[in-house]
Amino acid sequence: MRFWKSWIVTQKDLSVIRKNKYVFYSLIALPAILGIVLPATFVFALNAELTTLTRSQFLAAATQLINISATYLITISAVLPSIIASYSFVGEKIEKSLEPLLATPTTDGELLLGKSLAAFIPCLGVTYLAAAISAAILDVWSYIRLGTFLVPNLFWILAVAVITPLACVLSVEANVIVSSRVNDIRAAQQLGGLVVLPIIGLLILVVVGAELSVLLAILVTISLVVADVTLFYLSKETFQREEILTKWK
Amino acid sequence: MIDTENLTRKFGDLMAVDNVSLHVNEGEVFGFLGPNGAGKTTTIRMLCCLIGKTSGQARIGDFSVENEQDCLAIRKIVGLLPENVGLYESLSAYRNLDFYGKLYEVPDQARQENIERLLKLLGIWERREDSVATFSKGTKQKIAIARALIHDPLVLFLDEPTANLDPEAAKTVRDFILELKKEKRTIFLNTHNLDEAERLCDRIGILKTKLVVVDSPKNLERSLYSRKTIVHLESVSDQVLAAVKGLDTVKSVKIGDNKLILDIDNPERDNPEVVRAIVEAGGSVQYVTELRSTLEDVYLKLIKEASPQ
Repeated sequence: MRFWKSWIVTQKDLSVIRKNKYVFYSLIALPAILGIVLPATFVFALNAELTTLTRSQFLAAATQLINISATYLITISAVLPSIIASYSFVGEKIEKSLEPLLATPTTDGELLLGKSLAAFIPCLGVTYLAAAISAAILDVWSYIRLGTFLVPNLFWILAVAVITPLACVLSVEANVIVSSRVNDIRAAQQLGGLVVLPIIGLLILVVVGAELSVLLAILVTISLVVADVTLFYLSKETFQREEILTKWK
Repeated sequence: MIDTENLTRKFGDLMAVDNVSLHVNEGEVFGFLGPNGAGKTTTIRMLCCLIGKTSGQARIGDFSVENEQDCLAIRKIVGLLPENVGLYESLSAYRNLDFYGKLYEVPDQARQENIERLLKLLGIWERREDSVATFSKGTKQKIAIARALIHDPLVLFLDEPTANLDPEAAKTVRDFILELKKEKRTIFLNTHNLDEAERLCDRIGILKTKLVVVDSPKNLERSLYSRKTIVHLESVSDQVLAAVKGLDTVKSVKIGDNKLILDIDNPERDNPEVVRAIVEAGGSVQYVTELRSTLEDVYLKLIKEASPQ
């Protein structure tokens, strides 16, 4: 597989994404809500409790809040690809550009990698932007209230640096597979959205009180690595040029 | 340059292309005619390695469509203009061509030169940075042709290049294909347009799932009727009729409205003698024409014969 070929596809897709203002605004909206507004809301809520808690209780609550904000970042990275990756092949089908693209001397793997990177890069970029802003909000608040920086802690680092990209890869791969097999953008987004369900499940666990420990982060990491590798091979197996060309109208 | 032997493609129980064997020479413009669903696009897709074959053989140059490595090589030496232009509407004409030039592995300098040459040739250079969405259908078609040529392919597959274009745009595209013909490129042209096929193609294959016939447009036109000469007269008298019937070179004579329809083997050689005989018999010749069948006549006849009863 020639990476430079994939990168040509990625650059083209990124140019197309940049020109699509609806995709651009969709990319910005979710991180703005989950990555910035929610931590800010939690901060206000904790401020109200400040007088009733001891310092150690307050520190524990703040740490839990920071870990919850990290899981929201994971969710963002898993949800965003349904906007871009679900469009990857469906978009080519809609523009009827798939036939000339498939006629070029490019392999299936190179095309899939190029399309996946084009979805992965902006999604992860926007998520990390949200992470940076969210961390800044939390650190400014914790420094003012507690005289210390609470972000990043080990869980936060694992969640943002390792789990977030892995969750993003999982979502991108699943959405690219769906996109190569359906003809309609709405169907692609709805089916692609299903992949987020396990990650939403993780969030529900958080809400009902599962402990967000480093051990949990490591277990999630291992599960995601296995799922990512499996989906990569599955995407190569399910990508059928002939089927794509002959079954879409 | 293009060889197929019993090339066959089935989709489930549906036979799309049935045992097609043909040879297209290097530098030849080969026209593929046939009704909708005849298998023309499927044949092109098989030859471009876009879809597989059910059985038979197909080669482009030294490469077989069967082998995956050969398929990558085939895709490098062929250019494809699909039925739908399939350009990226939000990108500029230049960016579209640049993207494909890179995928076809054209070196930077050559790619820039090719884009400039093609866009200038097609009269789009001044608007190269405009997004494709702002162009007319005809201009988009021209950009798509430029895309198919960006890597200077040895073989060019054109699938309905003038379909859905207005007459002016269609003429521009046809003129461009004629320019390519002068460059001695091998061109495989799928078309419904019989006039276009006649004007552009060295040979024509008529396909109705099976390959019905392959020949030059002229030979196909002659295949329907033997050559006939029509002599238009002021009036047809008995003396004129007797004079014509008395000629050995005239195999049969039919009389129309003040005209004689003559079956003559070699009109170029024998028409002067016929005219002389008519004039000597007192006939007044207004003009002499040739009765020819059109490619449309031949096409419709062959397609009808090929259709299941």
